[in-house]
Amino acid sequence: MNIQVKYLDLPKQFKDERFWAKLKEQFETCQFIMGPELQKFESRFAELCQTPFALGVNSGTDALFLSLKVLGIGSGDEVITVPNSFVATTGAIIATGATPVFVDVGPDYNMDVGLIEQAITPRTKVVLPVHLTGNPADMIGIMEISRNYGLYVIEDAAQAVMASINGKRVGSFGDTGCFSLHPLKNLNVCGDGGLITTKSKETYETINLMRNHGLKNRDEIEFFGYNSRLDTIQASIANYVMSNLQSIIHQRIKNAELYDNELKGLDDSVTLPPRRENVKQVFQTYVIRVKNRGELIEYLNKHGVETKIHYPIPIHLQRPCQKLEYKRGDFPVCEKQAEEILSLPIHQYLSEEQIYYVAGLIKNFYGNK
Amino acid sequence: MKVKYSYLEEQFEDHEAIFNAFDDLIKTGDYTLGKPVIEFEKRFADLIGARYGIGVNSGTDALFLSLKTIGAGAGDEVITSPNTFIATVGAIVASGARPVFVDITDEYTIDPKLIEKAITPRTKALMPVHYAGHPADMDQIMLIGRKHGIPVIEDACQAITAAVNDKCVGTFGITAAFSLHPLKNLNVWGDGGIIVTDSEEIRDKLVLLRNHGLETRDQVAIFGYNSRLDSLQAIVGNHLIRNIHAITEARIKWAQKIDLGLAELKDFITIPRRRANKKYVYHLYMIMCKDRDELLFHLNQRGIEAKIHYPIPVHLQPAAAFLGYKQGDFPVAESQSKSILTLPVHQHLTERQIDYVIEKIKEFYS
Repeated sequence: MNIQVKYLDLPKQFKDERFWAKLKEQFETCQFIMGPELQKFESRFAELCQTPFALGVNSGTDALFLSLKVLGIGSGDEVITVPNSFVATTGAIIATGATPVFVDVGPDYNMDVGLIEQAITPRTKVVLPVHLTGNPADMIGIMEISRNYGLYVIEDAAQAVMASINGKRVGSFGDTGCFSLHPLKNLNVCGDGGLITTKSKETYETINLMRNHGLKNRDEIEFFGYNSRLDTIQASIANYVMSNLQSIIHQRIKNAELYDNELKGLDDSVTLPPRRENVKQVFQTYVIRVKNRGELIEYLNKHGVETKIHYPIPIHLQRPCQKLEYKRGDFPVCEKQAEEILSLPIHQYLSEEQIYYVAGLIKNFYGNK
Repeated sequence: MKVKYSYLEEQFEDHEAIFNAFDDLIKTGDYTLGKPVIEFEKRFADLIGARYGIGVNSGTDALFLSLKTIGAGAGDEVITSPNTFIATVGAIVASGARPVFVDITDEYTIDPKLIEKAITPRTKALMPVHYAGHPADMDQIMLIGRKHGIPVIEDACQAITAAVNDKCVGTFGITAAFSLHPLKNLNVWGDGGIIVTDSEEIRDKLVLLRNHGLETRDQVAIFGYNSRLDSLQAIVGNHLIRNIHAITEARIKWAQKIDLGLAELKDFITIPRRRANKKYVYHLYMIMCKDRDELLFHLNQRGIEAKIHYPIPVHLQPAAAFLGYKQGDFPVAESQSKSILTLPVHQHLTERQIDYVIEKIKEFYS
């Protein structure tokens, strides 16, 4: 008999009366723009990320864009990043006028630190690693190279809230860390939202103006900025979800371990997510590499299991990248992964039974091959 | 007596219906570009009389994305007026283009007679602002645009259902930007904006631009942005849009009452000319007054939250220094910035409160 295993279960998230109480409480203040719930959320989030400052903005995309802007990045500059991210990473770089320069990834789906130096040119200003899947990139290696070359580091931590290396949280390594509160994220709101973390007071103060039209006060403009504010109402939702964040992540890690255990015998057909010592992965996605992916997806789907691919087309092979003159073969690891990766449902509402069911189906599939 | 400028507390006394709709939304998880957004876009376009509505993150983004749709960027110029909220100019600067200011008339909107002088081979767009809910002179502006082959993008952020000859603003240019900020006549519970257009091609481009350029989940057609109206906010918009005519009528009623009440003070107070072919929606009810700052203080002292929109024209802001404008460049806008005063006219005021405002102004000048 089929068991339904949805990739995502958003409707389960806000069943709690406390959620409604919180929302009504915020609503009754009528402070819809940069209200107290936002400040409260920012300070809680900063503490969570072990940074002195956090700023709520309209989206993870805007977090990246404003981080680049605050560092003065624009036309003529190059930003080193990876081609296997959600398109927004590259989109934010393009939006500033700078040129994205891709380097290939390693078996952990993250930036291959050994390839960074050969991508550096006199125009390189920033290294922008992505903590893809909730697995921290090698920040120790990236920080060292960036220091040697005098480059800024912006962490795309959109998928990685609370991930850490040696207990140090992502978002606290680089000049800024960029987080997303999109509904599909581990810490989410009911719409778009994002956050920037930083250790620099100056960066904090500039972004604080930049996200709000450059307004120093109601009537005076310091510089031309943008409108990119996290809605107070979304901040109050984030405050609500944040109280459960530890248990959300705990559950995802537990789910990942269950999958690991169940699937580890399938060495020939299934490659499990890599593990590193002293690294905490938060499993925004649980990505395995598989043989006969198309058939497996179909098989799982037929049995009620939703899976996804993050992402089937690397950014350098997307149509608008033709201008950047990349071609197939430029990033062989990333391109190979794009053909093999598969994201299994990992969310906090899955039961053990559902995970055994998914793993059992995968074992069946390869057993019959 | 208290006469508050903001009315958000009164506005959502019937918020139960909105919370019920939130509850429905949460049961679907349809938070991003969901059904409420599609519904709101349709209703809004119908309200304005445009073919398409595209919900975005803010009025600022509505302007920015409109400019990006026509390819505005470095090396281009965009003509607008200096007496606007900073976002009009901020959006132009963000696109990479250079704002070129043109002075205004004594009706607070761009002076069509001065536009042609400001046009150069680099002019990419005309961006008139329907400031305070006063429609700009769209007939003349459109003629100039057509004559020079320059598209018009309307900044209608303050002017929902304002009209010229019964044609709503927002339907003249190739696109128009509206804001749903909490202080607007039609508002949501945070930031929000909407673009209207009659062009299918522009609509299709905006739909890509606001959502990372994604034509499917996996395929990127162009590099874009993340600028979406939240489904949650669209629910609030859908709730309020049913009342927009009543909201607007109340504002017009109070504006007319104050117009009448202050008519005898014409030595001290200038009420801008009201043209028969224009519908003013009074997002801001603005008059020009002698001894403005003292009057403002007088009214504030007596519980009346009057305001100034805005005391410093954009061309004189420190942020605009790089554009090279100076005091004296736009004498009408500069002079108005010293005399304009905004009085509360929102839909939740009572006749008694409006009488009180009039009385206190008269008291000041007597």
